[in-house]
Order: sequence, then C-alpha cells, then structure tokens
Amino acid sequence: MSANISEFEFRGNAKEWFGIWIVNLLLSILTLGIYSAWAKVRRHKYFYNNTYVEGRNFDYHATGGQIFVGRLIVFGAFVIYNLILTMVPMLAPVLLLALVLILPWLIIRAMMFNARMTSFSNVRFGFSAGYGKAFLVYLIYPILTALTAYLTFPLLDRAVKRFSIDNHRLGTAAFHFEAPLGPFYKAFFAALAWVVIVGAAVFALMGATVMTSFQDSFASPNPDPSAVLLFMAGFYGIFFLAFLPAVLLYHAMTRNAVYNNTVLEGGHQFRSDISAGALLWLAVTNLVAVVCSLGLLLPWAQVRMVRYLTAHTGVVLGSSLDSFVDVQGRRTSAVGDAYTDFEGIDVGLPV
Amino acid sequence: MGTNFPLPLKIEGRAYARLSSRLQQADLLLHREPQGTALRQVEIVTRDGETLGSSAWAEVTLDPPLGRQPRRLRLPDGTMFETDDHDAVLTLTGGSGGAWLHALEQVRPRLAAFAAIAVLSAFLVWKYGLDVLASAAAAMTPPVVLQQMDRGTIEALDFALMEPSELGAEEKERARKVFQTLLDHLQDTPNGVTFQLLFREMPGMGPNAVALPGGTVMVSDAFMDRFPGEDVLAGVLGHEIGHVVEQHGLRQVYRSLGLYAVVAFVAGDTGPLLEDILLEGNVLLSLQYGREQEALADAFGVQLAARAGYAPEGLITFFETVQSEMAEPPEWMSSHPNSAVRIQSIEDAIRQLQR
Repeated sequence: MSANISEFEFRGNAKEWFGIWIVNLLLSILTLGIYSAWAKVRRHKYFYNNTYVEGRNFDYHATGGQIFVGRLIVFGAFVIYNLILTMVPMLAPVLLLALVLILPWLIIRAMMFNARMTSFSNVRFGFSAGYGKAFLVYLIYPILTALTAYLTFPLLDRAVKRFSIDNHRLGTAAFHFEAPLGPFYKAFFAALAWVVIVGAAVFALMGATVMTSFQDSFASPNPDPSAVLLFMAGFYGIFFLAFLPAVLLYHAMTRNAVYNNTVLEGGHQFRSDISAGALLWLAVTNLVAVVCSLGLLLPWAQVRMVRYLTAHTGVVLGSSLDSFVDVQGRRTSAVGDAYTDFEGIDVGLPV
Repeated sequence: MGTNFPLPLKIEGRAYARLSSRLQQADLLLHREPQGTALRQVEIVTRDGETLGSSAWAEVTLDPPLGRQPRRLRLPDGTMFETDDHDAVLTLTGGSGGAWLHALEQVRPRLAAFAAIAVLSAFLVWKYGLDVLASAAAAMTPPVVLQQMDRGTIEALDFALMEPSELGAEEKERARKVFQTLLDHLQDTPNGVTFQLLFREMPGMGPNAVALPGGTVMVSDAFMDRFPGEDVLAGVLGHEIGHVVEQHGLRQVYRSLGLYAVVAFVAGDTGPLLEDILLEGNVLLSLQYGREQEALADAFGVQLAARAGYAPEGLITFFETVQSEMAEPPEWMSSHPNSAVRIQSIEDAIRQLQR
C-alpha cells in the first residue's frame, strides 16, 4: 500500500494462539460447554488486542459472566418456545410470527452489545439504529430480493452493509458509507460467471458419467456403490469448484468496495486491497491443513487468514488519532449477542 | 496482593486520560501514603510531569494476562495505563488475577497432552456423550409432556397429512386384539408411556406404521388392506412398540438439539468452508443413527411377536413385499436400512430365538 496509508497490523502468532485455543477447547469440553462463554472472551480479546493501527490496538471488554447469562436467557427462551410448540402445535403460526418480528430487535441488540464491548485507543464503539430500518433491511428487502430471483442481491447486500456502518460510531465520531452500486454488481456478475463457466466445465468433463450414475443410483433397488459414489463426487465437485470460489470472489471484491467507500468522522478514509485469488488460496489450503490435522491446525489457519486481511487493510488519516472522545453509554445485555451466536448470524464490527 | 517489594515503585508505560483516545508516554508510581500506614497509593504521571489520575492501589482493576499483550490497569477515575513490563506487574499482583490460566496457556510440552485429550474427548462427546445426554433427557421428560407431544403430533398430522380411517369395525378389532396380545407380553414399559393404537388413511404413504414417543402407534389403511395376516401385523406392531420402549424418537430429537448446541458453542468460529463440511457430515451420521434404531426395533419386534405366540417370519414377509414392490435409495443415503439387509438380520434374529 502507498506511503500515506496507516496499515492495520496483526501482532499475534499461531504458537501463542494455539496455547490459548487448546486450553479454551479443553476447559469448554471438561465443563460441558459452560467455559465456552469465557473462552469466547479470550478469543476476541486475543485477536482484538493484537490488531494495531499506528501503535494503538483494539480491545474487547465483555466478561464471560455477561455472555454466559445472555446464553442462559436465550436457551431458556428456546426451551419454552419448543415446549409451547410441542404442547399446543396450533399456536405455531403465531409463535413463528412473533419470532420473526422480534428478529430485527435482537439483531440491533447484538450489534449494540458488540460495539459497546469493543474499543480502539481507549474509546468505545457505539451502535444505535431504529427498529423500522432494521425491519426493512433484515425482513422486507430479503423478501423483495427473492421476488426478483436474486438479481437485485447486490442492492440488498449494500443496504445491509450501509445499515451496519452508518449506525456505528467510535466515541462521538460517526462512520459513513456511500458506495456506488457498480462494484457490487461487478462482483455479483463475476461470481455468477464463475459458477456458470466452471459449472459447465465440470459438467462437460464428467457430466455424462454422472448422469448415468444418477439414474443407476435411484432407479434400481440395489445400486452399484461405485455409481453412487461417482454421483456424490460430481455433486460435491460442483459445490467445491463452482460455488465456494464464487462466494469468496464476491466477498473479496465487495470487501474492497466497502472499505474504500467508508469514512470515519475526522476525515479518516479506509482502504482495502485484498485479492480474490489470494483469499481463495488461503481458504483452500487452510481447509486442507485443518482437516488433515484433525482440527489442530485451526489456530494456525485463523492467524494466517487474519494476518492476510489486516496486511491488506489500512486507513488514510485525516486528523490525529488522539482526538476521539468516548461517550458514557448505557448498560447493554448480551441477549442479542447470544441469540446471533446461536443462529450463526454475523454482526461483527466492520473493522 | 501481599508480595513485598520496595516502595516507591515506578513502572514505565503508556496512558490514556478518561474518555480520551490521546496516547501518552507515562509512568505508574506506587507510594506508601499517607506516610507510615500500610495503604498504597497509585499515581499515573506523564513524561511531561502531568498527573493523569490517582487512586488507592486496592481500587485499581487489572485485565488478566493474555499472551504477550500489554497489561492494562484501570483506575476508578477512568484513567487507563498499559505497560509491556510484565514482570513488574507480576511483582505487584503475585499469583492472583488469572495468572494460573495464563501459565496453563504457555506453549510447553504438556500442551501436546492437552491436544490429545481435547481431540479424544471431542470424539467421545460426538460418539457417545450426545447419546448419554439424549437418554438422560429422555428419561427426565415428564409423562405429561410425553402425552402432550403425542396429542400435538396427532393434531398436526391429522391437519396436514392424514385422513380419517375407512376401515370396518371388524378389521380394527382384529388389529387391536393383536396389539393387546403383544402388550400383554411386554416385559417393562418406560415411565409415562400409555399405549394406544390408531387407524388413519395416509394418502401417498402406502403400507405404513408410525410410533410416537408417548406410546401412540398409527397404522395406515393401505397396510391393513395389503397385509391381512396376523403374523405380519404382529411383526410390524412389535417393531413400532420397540421404538416406543427404547425411546428412539425422543432420543433422536434431543440428540439433534444437542449436536446443534455443541457445534454452535464449543467449536465456535471455524470459518465458512469448514462449517459447511461439519454440517454435511452430521447429516450423513444422523442417518446412520436412524439405521441402527431401525435394526434394534426389528430385533425387538421379532422377539416380542415370537413371545406372544405369532410366527416371527411376519416381518420378513412385510419386507419382501416392500422390496419387490418399491424402488429404494441406496442404504447409506437413507434413514432406513434397505430391505435385503434387514431381512438378513431378521433371519439372524429368528435363528437366535430358536437356539
């Protein structure tokens, strides 16, 4: 990156993280999962603390106890929900509607919690958004997108990113995101082209054999096992060669567009120049390493990925990093965070 | 924090004033104050000589050590001080404040043992732990809940999939008699189970029978029409009673809930590609689990039917008919073993009975 950019820097290393990770895992198993709340704090703290810009680092402030209580509440609600559903199945539509309506609120709470628990250079992040906007972005837009056969997916994606970034602050300084649609559609069509071209190539190479094996597999009561295997191989071949790289391609291209169009009050402009090829190479080699090591190389893979991402992220400073001022926020609970953890919804900071 | 060290003590580091992002070079000074008492006072002073904050040492909070990260101290007035001088901080705190956890995490040969234990226990949890948890949860499920589950499921099935039976009273009575004879020869029934036999028209499902966790067994009209013989009926009903007695359905529900929780909370961030693979693997493995349950229920049904005085070959007749009339997916892609495999193991079970 060019000279006037302050680069992000990751100072952690795989050896050190391995020690923390394996103790996290071991204690989580030995305590039947209870320790995993405290393990989450140590994991976040390790990666945040080791991420530096201009000699200042990030920090994570949630406590294991907070996260544990949040999870207990969500787990309790989940059990009650299922009990009601089992005992009075006729209430299912009402309950489902209630859950759908509460979803935007939970997502906002999760983003608030994560922002409040993260700091940079002694100043906490903040997040605030109205329910109506979240309702639009997380419920209405996805339905509209589905109605257009996902051809407007880039629009939805940009709206989600904008919702997250525009509502975040660092102390009193607001983030602002204003990107043209072009780069999102470019990424979308690049991914689509990959799926079509690679999918067609895979199909042309093994299509005929796969189709025969498909018929063999399902038409006869006692199919030839090798035919079934071939069919599965073809199916996963298309999945791994056509779809996963396309997803990463889209991710890499839009990440650059998101960062390069995000400004933090005070004239700080973010920069990202990751490449789709490098990201794909990292993801695939990481996968092979983790699977071949029975998961033990996971810490190494995580550090490797984060190191690449931070090395290709930076910020052009518009003023001094000394001038941020924190605001004293109200207390936040970890309920939303626990819920999004459970559902695997990503509400991390755009950092 | 009772370690003895000479006072006043100075630690070099960096500091931030309350609510400010301004990073300043600063020192932490520890005094004995007021003179002559055992109370210790801490003061954060910048290199320009400005005092950013001060408080009693007892009121300072310290983040637990993590890797080689700078140690952070927070004063009640909001001043934050950080230092890379780990030894000095350790002198102040002694062994308290998470030091043992930090020591555990250091890369030493014993971590290899930790890794081995972690891999082994992760495997054990996956293979056996979930079953133990599911069985315990199934055993602790109150009878009311079991009955409610049955009632709820019947309502839902009637609403969505099934029609009232069109069988004659005579046919129903014949099936009920077989069902009751089987129940009379049952050795022990799990707590809270109440058996009942229901008849339904199940469009598109052919000759079929279903068991619910609370003891409800449902038989399709097509089954009664296709298999009038009592031996086949006894074999199939025995099989379904086996599912209830062994609490298969209930355990399956708890097992999938448990797996979900384990993957979500213990494994944590695995990255997108790996997550996909873990989930795919789980689906294939839960199918395997379903096949084991079917085989167990087959053996149970054969034994029960034989004990109640029916010919144990009834179940074989059923599967032979199914095999000749319907195409099946290959065994490892389906939750039920294929009929040829099942007939084989039922024949084995019958041979065991005759011995």
